[in-house]
Amino acid sequence: MMFWVLAAVLTALVTIALLLPLARGKRAGSDAEYDVEVYSDQLAEVERDRAGGLIGTDEAAHARAEIGRRLLRAKKAQSAATDRRGGGRLTTAARLCVLVGVPLLGMSVYLATGAPGLPDQPLASRATTPEEASPIATMIAQAEQHLEENPDDGRGWDVLAPIYLRAGQLQEARTAYLNAIRLLGPTSARQSGYGEALVALASGVVTEEAAVAFQSARELQPDEPKAAFYLALALEQEGRDDRALEAFRRLAEQSPPDAPWMTVVNEKIAALGGQVADISPSGLPPLSLLPGAEADANADSGDVASVQPPLQPGPSQDDLAAARDMSDEERQAMIETMVGNLDRRLRENPQDIEGWIRLVRSYGVLGQPQQAEEALARGLAVFPEESEDGRALLAVARQVGVDRLEEEGAQ
Amino acid sequence: MTRKQKRLAVIAGGMGVVAVAAALVLVALRDEIVFFHSPSDLLTNAVEPGTRIRLGGLVANDSLNRSSGTLVRFAIEDGGSEVEVEYNGILPDLFREGQGVITEGAFQPGSPVFVADTVLAKHDENYMPREVADSLREQGVWQGEGEAN
Amino acid sequence: MIVELGHYALIIAFATALVQSVLPVVGARRGDQSLMAIGDTSAIVSFLLVLLSFCALTYAYVVSDFSVQNVYENSHSLKPMIYKISGVWGNHEGSMLLWILILVFFSALVAFFGRNLPKSLRANVLAVQGWITTAFLLFVLQTSNPFARIVPTPMEGRDLNPILQDIGLAIHPPLLYLGYVGFSICFSFAVAALIEGRIDAAWARWVRPWTLTAWIFLTGGIAMGSYWAYYELGWGGWWFWDPVENASFMPWLAGTALLHSALVMEKREALKIWTILLAIITFSLSLLGTFLVRSGVLTSVHTFASDPSRGVFILAILVVFIGGAFGLFALRATSLKSGGLFQPISREGGLVLNNLFLTTATATVLIGTLYPLLLETVTGEKISVGPPFFNLTFGPLMIPLLLAVPFGPLLAWKRGDLLGAAQRLYVAAGLALLAGLIVVYFTTGAPVLAALALAIGFFVMFGAVTDLALRAGVGKVSAGIAMRRLAGLPRSAFGGAMAHFGLGVMVIGIVAVTAFETEAVAEMAPGETIDAGGYTLRFDSMDPNQGPNYVEDVGHFTVLRNGAEISRMDSAKRVYTARQMPTTEAGILTRGFSQLYVSLGDFVTPEGAEAPTAIVVRVWWKPQVTLIWIGSVIMAFGGLISLSDRRLRVGAPKPHRQRKAGGPVMEPAE
Repeated sequence: MMFWVLAAVLTALVTIALLLPLARGKRAGSDAEYDVEVYSDQLAEVERDRAGGLIGTDEAAHARAEIGRRLLRAKKAQSAATDRRGGGRLTTAARLCVLVGVPLLGMSVYLATGAPGLPDQPLASRATTPEEASPIATMIAQAEQHLEENPDDGRGWDVLAPIYLRAGQLQEARTAYLNAIRLLGPTSARQSGYGEALVALASGVVTEEAAVAFQSARELQPDEPKAAFYLALALEQEGRDDRALEAFRRLAEQSPPDAPWMTVVNEKIAALGGQVADISPSGLPPLSLLPGAEADANADSGDVASVQPPLQPGPSQDDLAAARDMSDEERQAMIETMVGNLDRRLRENPQDIEGWIRLVRSYGVLGQPQQAEEALARGLAVFPEESEDGRALLAVARQVGVDRLEEEGAQ
Repeated sequence: MTRKQKRLAVIAGGMGVVAVAAALVLVALRDEIVFFHSPSDLLTNAVEPGTRIRLGGLVANDSLNRSSGTLVRFAIEDGGSEVEVEYNGILPDLFREGQGVITEGAFQPGSPVFVADTVLAKHDENYMPREVADSLREQGVWQGEGEAN
Repeated sequence: MIVELGHYALIIAFATALVQSVLPVVGARRGDQSLMAIGDTSAIVSFLLVLLSFCALTYAYVVSDFSVQNVYENSHSLKPMIYKISGVWGNHEGSMLLWILILVFFSALVAFFGRNLPKSLRANVLAVQGWITTAFLLFVLQTSNPFARIVPTPMEGRDLNPILQDIGLAIHPPLLYLGYVGFSICFSFAVAALIEGRIDAAWARWVRPWTLTAWIFLTGGIAMGSYWAYYELGWGGWWFWDPVENASFMPWLAGTALLHSALVMEKREALKIWTILLAIITFSLSLLGTFLVRSGVLTSVHTFASDPSRGVFILAILVVFIGGAFGLFALRATSLKSGGLFQPISREGGLVLNNLFLTTATATVLIGTLYPLLLETVTGEKISVGPPFFNLTFGPLMIPLLLAVPFGPLLAWKRGDLLGAAQRLYVAAGLALLAGLIVVYFTTGAPVLAALALAIGFFVMFGAVTDLALRAGVGKVSAGIAMRRLAGLPRSAFGGAMAHFGLGVMVIGIVAVTAFETEAVAEMAPGETIDAGGYTLRFDSMDPNQGPNYVEDVGHFTVLRNGAEISRMDSAKRVYTARQMPTTEAGILTRGFSQLYVSLGDFVTPEGAEAPTAIVVRVWWKPQVTLIWIGSVIMAFGGLISLSDRRLRVGAPKPHRQRKAGGPVMEPAE
């Protein structure tokens, strides 16, 4: 915010400074006056040199004659020169040019090339407040080092657990949550986070153990949306669709209509509306809840409120409505078409991590591991494994039982 | 002298200076220019003993041999071939085995050893002497960017 | 936020430069005062903006903000503060920003001190400066943005090349750029004059101080760069005819020629076309130098071809500006009336001779620098054009020029008396020969050629003194009057004589070090001695030492003369830890004008021994070597004195004087 204020002030100052001369109608002497001045001085110099004996009388006379001729020429030009004033139209055009051009050009180029939100990160300030500024890997490394020395620091585990979850280090996330719960006691956030880690470890299946964690989270805080969501999902996975539908509906009623997870919940409700699907493409936790699906690296959270809705359009309501009325074969074909479309879109526009995650997951769920592996490899080519997005993609792939080709060594 | 003659004299003088300079440049370009060779060039194109050339490539591993005093022997290779080099003096700071160097000197008659009087090593790890980088790239040994600041 | 503000300021500066490029020209064409005045304002505003931007980058370096890619790549948190700051311009992006900062600094100077310039000329000059600024700001923003950020932020930077970690470097590029880029003003003056179609003696008077300013800085910069290479590289050489050095030397040669030809144009209104051409050529060579150094062409023609974005951009700037200027020149040159006439033997004639030799010398350096590049591009054949080429071509051209230097100032304008000048130089020539012979006598076995070359140097020095003495009338009038007349001489006369004197000093240094230098290389164990230049050097010991970001092995030496201890000196082998890069820190002992120069080589470990027992030591005795740099400093100082001459500031009409009938024609100067 401060940056924008200062940038605006800077722009305003520059524009005003440039407009100032246009406001004044100062007149100055004609160009010839300047020439006259120079030649007069040259004449005086010749005179001085002659008086000082530096040049001979003859030489001085020649020089005087020559400079005199230039002087006369300049004087003639001076008297001929008329004072010209610029037209008002020209000045107005110039003013407009400055007034609009400078801020417009400045802002548009800056927005295209700058990074306005990025704060300065002097080394000194980064060393003391690492959680705020440094990247996820550094935070993890620092926290790990700290916990190695103080394994009984529950707060440390508490901070680290959601970070692990987001980074896709699921085993570590599970351990961290367990430690935090052991040392600090259960809270709803810890319990549901633990549950989420278990779900992710089980490739999206809400296991018995996970369900217990979510249950206890809900006991601690009845309106905890994440727990409610996963418990509903558990019902769905058990095949108790009517109860699942009811649970999703309840979650939707309790949530504010603009809550970020509402899109996914609504999709679920729509998908479950009246009919039971054999293979549900959304039988896994919604994308937005998956580790790494968020771009920001805010440390303190497994909190659903910070979750972003999926960026890419999912199946539209119409598609879903159509899916309800289809036979199983037809439905399977439609799903495959949709996945195929996504695949094609990603070939044209590979800079889309949400798309890659969705594609890998879809192939995994459709039971096509080879395609899933291929999609993973393509995605990792765009988002390298070391990058945060790449790690998230890899984590999703592991959930659906797919790993990199070279690790498997089989393909 | 008339004005025209004077002007001609001035122009002739000027041309004279330019002509002398041009002659100097041509002579210097013929005699004072040193051609660059890589060890594999020398296989196909032998160089007369006594002709000053620049020989460049990578210092072959385990080839550095300090005999007595400041006399140093090492080999330069470029993936295709290897040439034995002898040098008397202080090697540059960045002279290391496996790194790019340029040496300047000549072959002695009747000896396959290249006697160098100048050894240039790279300035920093991003910099590879221009000729060496190019010839190594041709030999396919090295695929770095040759850019220096 | 500060970093981003710096980035934003740079972009706004670009917008301002665009305004500066267009409005003043329109104003000058239409005679609109307010539009012309926008040239001044925008020049000063863009200077402030680029300065802000530069300060922001410097801040990022000072606080080691590694989220800025440029800082990450070229700095390190453990680096001493002074090198953090000099690191700002020790890399491509930062140095281009500095280049632009100096460009806009010169524009601002014109806006600030150019009150004596006619309004329309000033507006046009600033507009042309605006074109150059716009082009280079676009280059920086497009291909070399120093404010690019990295996410995530790396924990530690990658250090600056340790060879560049030297105090000389902290000052060297800024000075060099001040000179290099300063010639942009001459270029802008030339193009502005061509646009207006008004090229006369007054123009030459106006352009002279700017040429002189740029020349002073460039002289200082080249001297500093030469000393830096001598002191830091540990090779004992002071000039390598390296393409990077040539890139700054060519504008210097052409700029020196310009300085002299502008003198003719101011006094006699002759050589108009030539002076304009020279002004364009000088800055073209500056641009060419920037291109050579910044495009990567020098490293490899192939690198340039494989990653051409930067090189091609600068090449495009080069082509547009040089091509455009020459095109304009071709259009206008025919309409220029030639000015005053002169005899071949005259002050003008002498200055023409000076120009002839200087430009020819520039051409030979240019050929030597570009020929290998051209040959490789065309035939693929790789050659190196080294010192022998330049010694053979550049050297012979300088000898007649140096011999002619003392004559020039003694010749009268228009028609000179060569015989008279020669007579007046008898004393100087005689003394010079004598001095040469004395040197030869004392340094037995010195070649006759060296004695002659030294004599030339002395001749240039004594000639400059003779010039001043004659002007003061020494010998003709009483000593008191002569002193008073000497004091009353215009400062430009002093400046000129001083610059010539410095040239002579420099020649003596060059000749002495080339002819009389001695060198010894030996493997030394502690306690052993080595002789060089009449001194004996005893190697005492070797100690490890730890610096802020390097570790070093320091060799301690004792300098003896006839068995008596005179001084001690240290030389070191350093390794900069961040890049694991070794450098040699030469030990230098200055005795009078001469220097003893010691650098360390490799450790020697005999077969079977565990630790090294000796080290290779290289010692040079460099007689009178410091005169090379002292001479160039004297030259630059002469330029400074000349610049302070009040005549160079004449020209602003004062309103009250205008009303006087008849004008100030014969009014004595204040």
